[in-house]
Amino acid sequence: MNILSIIIFLPIITAVLLFFVRIPIRLIKIIYMMVTSMIAFLTLKLYISFEHHASIQFEEMHRWISEYGINYHIGVDGVSLGIVVMNAILMPLVAIALYKQRDKRGYWINLLFVQGGIMGVALSLDLMLFYLFWEIMLLPIFLMIGFFGYGNKNFITMKFNIYTIFGSLMMLISILYIAVQYKLQFGVYTFDLDKLQNLVLDSTQSILVFSGFMIAFAIKIPIFPFHTWLIDTYRSAPTGAVVVMSALMAKLGAYAIWRVLFTLLDKTSHELASYFIGIGLLGLIYFGISAMSQTHLKSMFALSSASHLSLIVVGFFIYDVYGLIGSSYLIVAHAISSAALFMMAAMLYERTKTYDISSLGGIAAVAPRFSLFFTLFALSIVGVPMTAGFVAEVLIVLGAFHYNIYIGFMTATTLLIAMLFMFKMISQVLYGKVNKATENFEDLRMHELIALIPLALLILAMGIFPNYFMQKIEPTALSYTVEKEVSYHE
Amino acid sequence: MSDAFIALAVPALLLFSALFILLFGFSSYYNKNRGYYITLTTLFITFCISVNGVGDIHSAELLPQLFNAMVIYDTFSATFISLFLLGGFLSLAIAKSFIDQTNFFTHESFVLFLFSLFGMVVLTMANELLTAFIALEIASMSVYVLVGLNKESLRASEAFFKYLLLGSFSASFYLLGMMLIYAQAKSTHLNVIAAYILNHDLNSQLLIIAGGMLIIITIMFKIAALPFGAWVLDVYEGASLPITAYMATVFKIAVFAFTIRVFLKNNDLIQLVFDPLIVIGAVITMIGGSLLAVIQNSVKKMLAASSVVHSGYLMIALASIEDADSSASSAIIFYLFAYFISAIGAFGVLSYISKGTDKLISFDDLNGLGKNTPIIAVSLTIFMLSLAGFPSTIGFIGKFYIFTSAIESGYTLLALFGAITAFISIYYYFKVIVHLYFKESAYVKVEYGYRVSLAFIITAAFIVLWGGVGTSLILNIPGINELYELSKHAIQSLNF
Repeated sequence: MNILSIIIFLPIITAVLLFFVRIPIRLIKIIYMMVTSMIAFLTLKLYISFEHHASIQFEEMHRWISEYGINYHIGVDGVSLGIVVMNAILMPLVAIALYKQRDKRGYWINLLFVQGGIMGVALSLDLMLFYLFWEIMLLPIFLMIGFFGYGNKNFITMKFNIYTIFGSLMMLISILYIAVQYKLQFGVYTFDLDKLQNLVLDSTQSILVFSGFMIAFAIKIPIFPFHTWLIDTYRSAPTGAVVVMSALMAKLGAYAIWRVLFTLLDKTSHELASYFIGIGLLGLIYFGISAMSQTHLKSMFALSSASHLSLIVVGFFIYDVYGLIGSSYLIVAHAISSAALFMMAAMLYERTKTYDISSLGGIAAVAPRFSLFFTLFALSIVGVPMTAGFVAEVLIVLGAFHYNIYIGFMTATTLLIAMLFMFKMISQVLYGKVNKATENFEDLRMHELIALIPLALLILAMGIFPNYFMQKIEPTALSYTVEKEVSYHE
Repeated sequence: MSDAFIALAVPALLLFSALFILLFGFSSYYNKNRGYYITLTTLFITFCISVNGVGDIHSAELLPQLFNAMVIYDTFSATFISLFLLGGFLSLAIAKSFIDQTNFFTHESFVLFLFSLFGMVVLTMANELLTAFIALEIASMSVYVLVGLNKESLRASEAFFKYLLLGSFSASFYLLGMMLIYAQAKSTHLNVIAAYILNHDLNSQLLIIAGGMLIIITIMFKIAALPFGAWVLDVYEGASLPITAYMATVFKIAVFAFTIRVFLKNNDLIQLVFDPLIVIGAVITMIGGSLLAVIQNSVKKMLAASSVVHSGYLMIALASIEDADSSASSAIIFYLFAYFISAIGAFGVLSYISKGTDKLISFDDLNGLGKNTPIIAVSLTIFMLSLAGFPSTIGFIGKFYIFTSAIESGYTLLALFGAITAFISIYYYFKVIVHLYFKESAYVKVEYGYRVSLAFIITAAFIVLWGGVGTSLILNIPGINELYELSKHAIQSLNF
């Protein structure tokens, strides 16, 4: 069995087994830690042995539904590598950060399950397999919000679910449609991304197919008009689920644009790119401004991550090597910092029992370590130099200038909005007078430090030595843009 | 075993054991358990016999001198017979605890059960309109009475009466249609009619078109397609749970078996004249069924209404049948299997937790089940996901085949409609999951006991999952590919 298959199925199989076996919660946590660390270790091995070239590596292929040319086809390239690594690192750390809080077995089982699902999406090279994992990773989140969420959770889970499944079904129709078109042109069915690239669609067809896919991805990310599920869901979801949703699942939406749309419908994507740059910029501004007005910490983080996801979308659609590298770098950088911030928000809530920004204050005075980490991650999100966010955002802005000087200007200035809301939040939460909620604020405990330090180091390392990380992404990004340059200027 | 022997053994066995139980029921040795197990054994044996005919392609008219080529035994009928014998077996097996706890399951009900299966077996083998009619009526009559089994329930009596009346009324359409077809083609034999249609131009066969229309109305009634399926909610609600499961799955399969045979034999006519009708029917059925299912507040009624939606999906595939080689026809068979295994599981869970009280199970009755009996809750979740067409379940693969074949035949819009109804269905299927897990139960923990039914429920759940991801790669068990191959062979045997 290939290392990738192990990475996908080890957590899923463990989750299923844990469901059937009745063992004490402590043991479940230990098994969870063991499995996720093993995945992290395997991923590290994968990362190191990943060669610096653009083609897909560690490919594995088995026949699944041969009548329809559906195969179990997986592989990894520079961009999916980023997501796989993120997923592998974050899962054990989430558990360390929260290990005292959650004493429900379902919580850990679902987290394992979702880990496998996300790995599956990131590694699938067959559209049907991609769709399968895409849907499968939704279920654990649905269950987690329903089981362990807060507030009006039943309504909110249903809303979230219906939203995302609507997108998925539109994507399914698109997938089936291109497969049938392929059959008409080549005589056989296939769902293989490689082979489907040979397909020729006329412009109406490709725009329809593109929209089908894009609805699914846009809802998942979410970009501008498809975001209405966002705040409620993030607010009522438990921390583990929020970390997964904001740090990983949303990124998968962006990743899918790259993987599916840029591969299959690159011409259409290129033609429609300007609209999505517009929507992305609009989202960047709109979510940024809404984030500023939020008083609920989680809503604010939700909107801030939506704002940066719009930036990722912009980075992808400017079709420039800087933009692409920057975006895929931002996927990783933002995953780390937003995951860390959501974990810290949970710690904050555990201590103060409130998410209300205005009732917090003065934490810097009582909890210096907490403030240090909190500031570091917040600054990485807004892209202060020496952090991972900086590198990514500079690259995207560079790419945007390359695309069009006005767009570049817009992108650069709108990034300032992020600074505004983040600094406003930091000043309100960390500085000011100590009040009732924060006077007994306990500084970070050992296990919380253990969870946060690797993330902080990674943020700094990615900010200071970007080359080391970028060399894995670069060949893939180059291969995309170079091909594009050729095909659009001929 | 020769073909003729197998083909005759199945209905004969069903008939004989029905007669046996009928007589045995009056003896002092009879008790419910014995009757139940005799029925189950009969179904099992007949299933084993009929499964022999699945796989390799064959087709033979049965004792043509004796039956005048009215019945035909081919891979197609063998596949379908195995399908609904398995369905009948499962719907009884899963309902064991229900049957134990109710007092209206007398020996006659087993007899009726077997009689109805006998009717369906003959219906599937029928190669002639009149035989089909008689078989259909044998099956229907038995099902009418099964609906009204619970004599003390007013709902059941009402359902029985409604179903009997409407059913007989719709059957008369069939008779009239058959008469019109006979008037023109001078035969009721499917092959002769098909040849007649092929050799005459369309304008000169108005009677056949009119007759076909009437027959389609009856078929739509029997598969509960709207607008002729208005009876379905009341009847499914009134019938006791195992019977509802039986009707929604097994009976539907049998009617579809005959429908596909008629459709494939008379393909040119169907494509030219009836396709638009079926397309419209499919859309109305899907939309109407979805609306019905959304507003229900009892799980049983919701499942009943959603079975209408599934008829709609099947009608998409019916409309997309282009010729015998097209994937649509084998998609129907696969989908029927996918639907029946999931629906029987779902109804089985309901009848398992209803404890024989035969009340309507409301969504609130499911509250807290996830905590109290996780195994049941997970099985029900799997069935719901499969009915909703969630990937990694057999229901998804079924929908996948249907939608692909629809797009292939140029009905992209119809497939889109199907996707939208699937999207609506997420709401009512996931509502069940929400109630299972996220709502606290007001009652204390209920012990259901681990009976035979539970074992079969879990088996069905595993089949559902296996059908969704199964591949012969991992273990040496046939996967989805093989299931699909089987349904393909069944279709190919039709023009053998």
